[in-house]
Amino acid sequence: MADDKVMIIMTSGPDTPRRCATPFFFASLAIAMENEVTMFFTIDGTLLLKKGMAETIYPKAGGKPVSGFLKDAMDAGVTFLACTASMELHDLKAEDLIDGVKMVGGATMWQVAEDCKTVLTF
Amino acid sequence: MANVRGCNLPDDLYYLIEKHVWAKPMGGGVIRVGITAVAAKLTGGKLAAITVKAKNIGQEVLQGKSLATVESSKFVGPVPTPVTGVLLRANEKLAADPNLAVSDPYGEGWVAELQASDWDGQKGTLATGAEGVAAYQAKLEADNISCS
Repeated sequence: MADDKVMIIMTSGPDTPRRCATPFFFASLAIAMENEVTMFFTIDGTLLLKKGMAETIYPKAGGKPVSGFLKDAMDAGVTFLACTASMELHDLKAEDLIDGVKMVGGATMWQVAEDCKTVLTF
Repeated sequence: MANVRGCNLPDDLYYLIEKHVWAKPMGGGVIRVGITAVAAKLTGGKLAAITVKAKNIGQEVLQGKSLATVESSKFVGPVPTPVTGVLLRANEKLAADPNLAVSDPYGEGWVAELQASDWDGQKGTLATGAEGVAAYQAKLEADNISCS
C-alpha cells in the first residue's frame, strides 16, 4: 500500500447535482496535498463523463457548473477511470466520453483500491 | 514596496514567481512563507480555508512541494514552499480567519515558518529586489494578470 495514493469512487450523477462538485473538489485538494489521485466513475457517476453533460449540471443555481470542477481536477492531474459495465448500463460508447478518461473493468477498481491508503465513495 | 498591475509586491521579499509564494528570512535560518497578493487575487477573493499539513511539521519539505492548501468556494490549490526546509509552525491566526492571507498577505496573513535547509544555496533561485519585482511584472504581463 502506498501512503500517498487515494481513490474517490463516484456513483452520483446528474440526478443529484449537489453531490457532483465536492468529489472533484476533494480530488483536486488531495493533489494539492501531494497525493496521487484516481477517480473511479461507476453507476450514475459515469454519466458525468459524457460529452456536454457536466456543463449542464449546477450544484448551486447560478454557480459554477460541474464541468468547471471536473476540469480543475483533470488539470491538477487526477486520473479518471470509467467503469465499462456502467457504460453499458447507460448505453455509452467510448466516443461518447470526454477526452482523458480511461475505460477499465471492475477488477481495476479493486486493484487501485488495494493500493490506496484512503478510498472515499460518493 | 512596489505596486505592479495593482498587485502589492514588496521588493524586500524573495519570490518563487511561478508559484506565487514569498519567503522572508526571520533570522537564525528561520524563513517565513506566504502567498503573494497575486495568488490571493487568483483564488477569486474570499477564502474558505488555508490548511498547513500537520503531518509535515517537523519534516523537511522540498522546494516547490506543497506545504499547505488554499480553498475557496470555487478554487483549490497548493501553497508550494519557496525553499527547502523543516516545517516549524503554521500561522494559527489563519485557522480563525483564512482571509488574512488576502487582506494582509505579507503581514498577519503569513502561512508557515520553516528552518531552511540551505537558504544561502537556494535564495539565488528566488526573485528579489527591484530586479525580482521586474521579473514578477513580466510574468504578470505575460499571463495578463492584474490585481485591480
